[in-house]
Amino acid sequence: MLSRRTLEAATAILTGAFGVAVMVSSLNNGIDWSESGVESGTFPFITGTIVAAASLYNLVRGWMRGTGIVATRAGLQRTAALLLPAVLYVALIPLIGMYVGSAAYLFGTLRFQSKLSVVRSGLIAIVASVALYLVFERAFQVSLPHGWLGVVLDL
Amino acid sequence: MENFEALMHGFSIAISVNHVALMIGGVLLGILVGVLPGLGAPNGVSLLLPLTFGMTPVAAIILLSSIYWGALFGGSVTSILFNIPGEPSSVATTFDGYPMARDGRATEALATAFGSAAFGALVGVVLITCLASWIAGVALQFGPAEYFAVYFLAFSSFIGVGGAPPMKTVVSLAIGFAIAAIGMDTVSGSVRLTMGVDELVKGINFVVAVMGLFGIGELLIAVEDELHAKPVSSKIEWRILFRTLAGLPKHWVALLRSAAIGCWMGITPGGPTAASFMSYGIAKRVSPRRANFGKGEPEGIVSPETADHAAGTSALLPMLSLGIPGSATAAVMMGGLMIWGLNPGPALFIEQKDFVWGLIASMYLGNIVAVILVLLTVPIFAALMRLPFFILAPLIFIVCVVGAYSVSNSYLDVVLMMGFGVLGYLFKKLDYPLAPLVLAIVIGDKAEDAFRQSMLMSQGSLKIFVANGLVTTLVCAGFALLLVPPLFRMIGGLRGRSR
Amino acid sequence: MSVTFKLTVTLIAGVSAVALSSQAGAWTPTKPIEFIATAGPGGGTDNFTRAVQAAIVKNKLVDQPIVVVNKPGGSGAEGFTYTKALTGDPYHLVFGTSNAWSQPLVSKVAFNYTDFTPVAAMVQDEFLLWVKQDAPYKSVQDYLTAMKAKGNTAKMAGAQSKDTDETLTRLIGKAAGIKFIYVPFKSGAEAAVQLAGGHVDSHVNNPSESVGQWKGGTQRPICVFNTKRLPDTGKVTATEGWQDIPTCQEAGLNIALFQQPRTVWLPLKVTAEQTAYYVDLMKKVQATPEWKDFIEKSVQTNTFLSGDAFTKYEAQDLEQWKKVATEEGWLVK
Repeated sequence: MLSRRTLEAATAILTGAFGVAVMVSSLNNGIDWSESGVESGTFPFITGTIVAAASLYNLVRGWMRGTGIVATRAGLQRTAALLLPAVLYVALIPLIGMYVGSAAYLFGTLRFQSKLSVVRSGLIAIVASVALYLVFERAFQVSLPHGWLGVVLDL
Repeated sequence: MENFEALMHGFSIAISVNHVALMIGGVLLGILVGVLPGLGAPNGVSLLLPLTFGMTPVAAIILLSSIYWGALFGGSVTSILFNIPGEPSSVATTFDGYPMARDGRATEALATAFGSAAFGALVGVVLITCLASWIAGVALQFGPAEYFAVYFLAFSSFIGVGGAPPMKTVVSLAIGFAIAAIGMDTVSGSVRLTMGVDELVKGINFVVAVMGLFGIGELLIAVEDELHAKPVSSKIEWRILFRTLAGLPKHWVALLRSAAIGCWMGITPGGPTAASFMSYGIAKRVSPRRANFGKGEPEGIVSPETADHAAGTSALLPMLSLGIPGSATAAVMMGGLMIWGLNPGPALFIEQKDFVWGLIASMYLGNIVAVILVLLTVPIFAALMRLPFFILAPLIFIVCVVGAYSVSNSYLDVVLMMGFGVLGYLFKKLDYPLAPLVLAIVIGDKAEDAFRQSMLMSQGSLKIFVANGLVTTLVCAGFALLLVPPLFRMIGGLRGRSR
Repeated sequence: MSVTFKLTVTLIAGVSAVALSSQAGAWTPTKPIEFIATAGPGGGTDNFTRAVQAAIVKNKLVDQPIVVVNKPGGSGAEGFTYTKALTGDPYHLVFGTSNAWSQPLVSKVAFNYTDFTPVAAMVQDEFLLWVKQDAPYKSVQDYLTAMKAKGNTAKMAGAQSKDTDETLTRLIGKAAGIKFIYVPFKSGAEAAVQLAGGHVDSHVNNPSESVGQWKGGTQRPICVFNTKRLPDTGKVTATEGWQDIPTCQEAGLNIALFQQPRTVWLPLKVTAEQTAYYVDLMKKVQATPEWKDFIEKSVQTNTFLSGDAFTKYEAQDLEQWKKVATEEGWLVK
């Protein structure tokens, strides 16, 4: 279970941190008026300040007024079940490449989360990967990453 | 009249078996690249460019412009079905297109989008035919100050129409501006906000951001709330298709208004993206059906789609007559023109009459071919909605990941897209509006460049924004759009209290 | 099974490749080649890249397909940074200008020219001084007098910041004692449109960036930054051709030569054979009729520098850049 109050506060802190990072980073570029016009850090600095200030407001307001629950435990579990395998998939791309990665990800989710049969999930996974290969690598000559595995197999 | 004769001559050049075959091939390829997020018309065009070296310039430009039409249509498909805008200009289509598709009205939504898009494109072509030389003159009036005023107008027509908490809108908008500023700055040549990641010098691509914010974010929300799309019934799709098309004329006010906005933004180089946002924003203020906007209102599709295509079409005109490309694809085509030995510029209309009018004639034909072909594909796309969610969800993930990568062959983009996905989820959960963020990413840096160029030219004086009739009018219109609605609300509030 | 098969094929291919190279010392590509243009579609570098591609494809100089990819982000830094990471990969060539060594001087970018294997410098693009068609000044002297009279408000448009256009603007300013306001746009084409609309007083575009505008009667060149006039390629407008434009020196603006090379690079750590293959390929490209056509249409000067000649040229040009950048205070800290 997740209360609205917590999530509001967490999001406001996240955006606020981004705002502060933008402010600090744009100081390096200069925020003054120079001979060549407005210096390049000025606008980012202003936007960073606005983000930080408005986030502070949202933080206070979210904490004071936030009531109720934004997500149930079951809902969060469903979200995690979708998001975590996908994050793993993205994290593995440098290692096993996009074709093998996509096939493994599809097979994994279909077989173990949706309980499809091995043959069906395997078929879907392979068809999807081959389709990717034909469209991108062959037709449009966009080379998707082959990963460390591709280097080893010298593709 | 002179133009009309030239156009007829153009048709006599454009209509041949060979050319029509090229059109069909080009449109089909265009639909394919348009549907796949990450790939876009520029991919198709630059892929086929080498093939065109052996063709006549007319045949070559017909093939390439057909890809452009196909991709413009195809871009709306994923926006409507999966909330993933394939092109920047189809973001606004998601606002009402996706809710319609989720309600099981995918066919209706797609048909509405394609029908109004075709209308917008045709208005754009007619405009080019009739007013080609006059328009070229108008575009020349636009210096940096006028550019800034146009962007300002686009912002103010869109901001403030939603009911989101004001401070959340501010956060969303400002984050968008900050993201737009990442990378190399045009005016000073210095590198900004890369925070130690060298690769960020290229900036954050818009497609990467929206695929995460809209596509992944929506997926996460949908799975949490178990908001699975209602299945589409298969039998009556053709009937729905024709009924929807036949019903389009009842939106004539929206069609005409949006076409006008689109043409205006296409000629003044605001571009299709700004046009579609502005058209949606204005429709949401003035339409009698505005209360339904955002919940699956057909007019919420008609407005951005018509404007998008009207702008996309009229954006080809600055390319031909001035040599400034109005969009990325137009830019690739411009490169092609030079390879075929044609120099874009005012002289093109005089020296290369066959080529220019052949192209304009092919715009009529190409759009007609495109809309027919794309309507034929509607049942195929609508059938995608019949896939069970547990297969669809991982497939959408894969399409987004591959799409984000292929934007510029970068793994960093894939990681960023996942980050944007989580941000999209949080924002949507907590009623932060996403549209201002997206609009700021798309035109934020252009607006900043234009402002700073103006400041350089005026040596720091803001008077440059009221220096002539054109810029003053634009700025005043912008302020009016920004300030009038809150004023009305205040007056309304005071009245309510006095009663 | 398929892996073993693949391995066998690779082995055979590898052995035969070794055999071949020991015979002829040659290397030939066996995969599609990617050309990376460090500019957006339609820009000078993009046209250069696509002209090389067209010459190769039309004359079948390479058996493998050639794909052009635009990586214009960060004024071209995106393309260079991308190529830098591909060490040892002979299937990616990056096409640029002098920005390979000038950009790292003035911007905090993550590459330098030493991160690449130089292949060749193939053309020198020319610069001209352009004014609006209906501007009152007929000669360079008139123009300079008029700009001086404007005090500090003479406006020069150009593509990008602290790049060739701004450098040339500063050189003109110094030679003639004028303080220009330099307004950077994204491309030369945009600068040309701004001049046509009368929003700026002049720009220093390459010939190909403004020839359409010249033909169309919205702007005209008044002098060329070269020691001699451009070659006679016939009339561009009804009355004038490139050969009729005086050099800036003869017209009284003392800047002798200002050009921009167009360069081709490979990633680091490719073999000498691979580099030699591409040097040879580029030489063949220069001999094709398509290339001659490209040079003539875009009014550039053909050159070919590779190996030591390229390195020497590069070192000289870099010194020039350092000088200007130091004087203007552009050097990145």
